[in-house]
Amino acid sequence: MADPAGAPCVEVVDLHKRFGALEVLRGVSFAVDRGSVVSIIGASGSGKSTLLRCINYLEQPTSGEVRIDGEPIGIERRADGSERRRSMREIGRFRRDLGMVFQQFNLWPHLTVLGNVVEAPIRVRGLPRRQAMELARACLERVQLSEKSSEYPARLSGGQQQRVAIARALAMQPKVMLFDEATSSLDPELTGEVLEVMRGLAVDGTTMIVVTHEMGFAREVSDRVIFLHGGLIEEEGPPAQVFGTPRSERCRQFLAKLLH
Amino acid sequence: MGNWERLVWNQRNVLLDGFLVTLEICAIAFAVAVAAGLGLALLRLYVRPLRWPAIMWIEYCRATPIYVQLMWVNYVWPEILGWPTTFYTAGWVALALQSSGYLAETFRTGIENIGRGQREAAYAVGMSPLLTFRRIILPQVLVTIAPSIVTQFTVIVKSSTLVSVITVQDLMFQSQRLVNVWFEPIEILTATAAIYILFIFAVSAAGKALADRLRLRYGLGT
Ligand SMILES: Nc1ncnc2c1ncn2[C@@H]1O[C@H](COP(=O)(O)OP(=O)(O)OP(=O)(O)O)[C@@H](O)[C@H]1O
Ligand SMILES: [Mg+2]
Repeated sequence: MADPAGAPCVEVVDLHKRFGALEVLRGVSFAVDRGSVVSIIGASGSGKSTLLRCINYLEQPTSGEVRIDGEPIGIERRADGSERRRSMREIGRFRRDLGMVFQQFNLWPHLTVLGNVVEAPIRVRGLPRRQAMELARACLERVQLSEKSSEYPARLSGGQQQRVAIARALAMQPKVMLFDEATSSLDPELTGEVLEVMRGLAVDGTTMIVVTHEMGFAREVSDRVIFLHGGLIEEEGPPAQVFGTPRSERCRQFLAKLLH
Repeated sequence: MGNWERLVWNQRNVLLDGFLVTLEICAIAFAVAVAAGLGLALLRLYVRPLRWPAIMWIEYCRATPIYVQLMWVNYVWPEILGWPTTFYTAGWVALALQSSGYLAETFRTGIENIGRGQREAAYAVGMSPLLTFRRIILPQVLVTIAPSIVTQFTVIVKSSTLVSVITVQDLMFQSQRLVNVWFEPIEILTATAAIYILFIFAVSAAGKALADRLRLRYGLGT
């Protein structure tokens, strides 16, 4: 049995992912401690989204493992050493602990803001309605959207929609939050409010894996930064090192290009 | 004016009886067609081994003239399946059969048009595929295809006039019977046409109002 006290919150071990002939991830390993923030940066097509999607098994890794509190998501290891691939249903149980925020928000348009947030606590966690409502309201409070509870998503700005999406993920009280370029499809003047919410979560000690093009945010908020290139971790370290004195030439070039 | 009173107004109970039969048979056929259409669409999309049988069945339903289907269900099915045993049942089965083919395709496009992100957001919070379909996909599909579903009901109403051929006593049947009694087709058939027109207009208008409300509410669709 896994020992939650000793194991990192998330552990990615030698992850490979190929789409047909294209090998997008070629052996990625890293660990995220409880309460820490890891940012993943890299050029377009370097496999950042794929990595994040493999972590919650929206994509099935070709090989390698993802462990939550020491327990592998995709396979069950029995005491006698035998292994068994987990069913969709079992994987769903792990996904509850992994909150995901998408670039395109993906709010459910037929449900109100509150409906979006309360859906999974009721249907997936099986919370009593009243308790779920209370939890959902608290999550909306946290992203400062209490007054929009009864609106439908189509009437909200992009920034507000993304904050609802964050509240929806928080309502499952996940162990980790995964952000896939949460601000990339927003108008520049709306990114601030979303980053502000994310900063707040980090300050509160939320464990986060953040794929982002917002280098300022990554630098300020992360405990560690991972630079992904060609499906491999090319550079990894504290933000001061990765942004200040990167060892990798490619990382230097990537950052230099961003500054122009 | 005397003819209208004698042939139509005085026969209003007969016509009303016929109309109620029309209403009933269309409602049953419609309900069955919606359920069967959804089932066929799901088989086609998600049940691999049944994909091709489903496609063939859907195409068969869509490609056969309603009159042929009516004859087939009424005369062939009882020989082979021992069912249906009444003309009435044969009537709604044939109507449902044809519409289920069209509705299956409507459902399928509706389901396919829901973006992948909707499903993924549901999986990401731990919802199962079944729960995701029931709570996230289906409601959105229903909102977007509501106008097509309503249109399909009007198609059923129009096709239903053919069930009079196998002696189901619907509005068309009663109207023809009156014509055969009085040999005065003008007023009776004109009144019958008017009833169908009014009914179909009412259904379409209600459908449009419903679709507009849903669209306004959720900001979905075009
Ligand atoms: N489902 C898929 N099928 C085939 N190829 C895919 C699939 N998903 C991603 N890819 C490919 O994998 C590569 C990495 O994609 P990914 O989306 O992970 O990159 P990214 O680093 O997130 O890029 P961006 O910054 O543009 O979001 C790309 O070449 C992409 O075309
Ligand atoms: Mg991406």
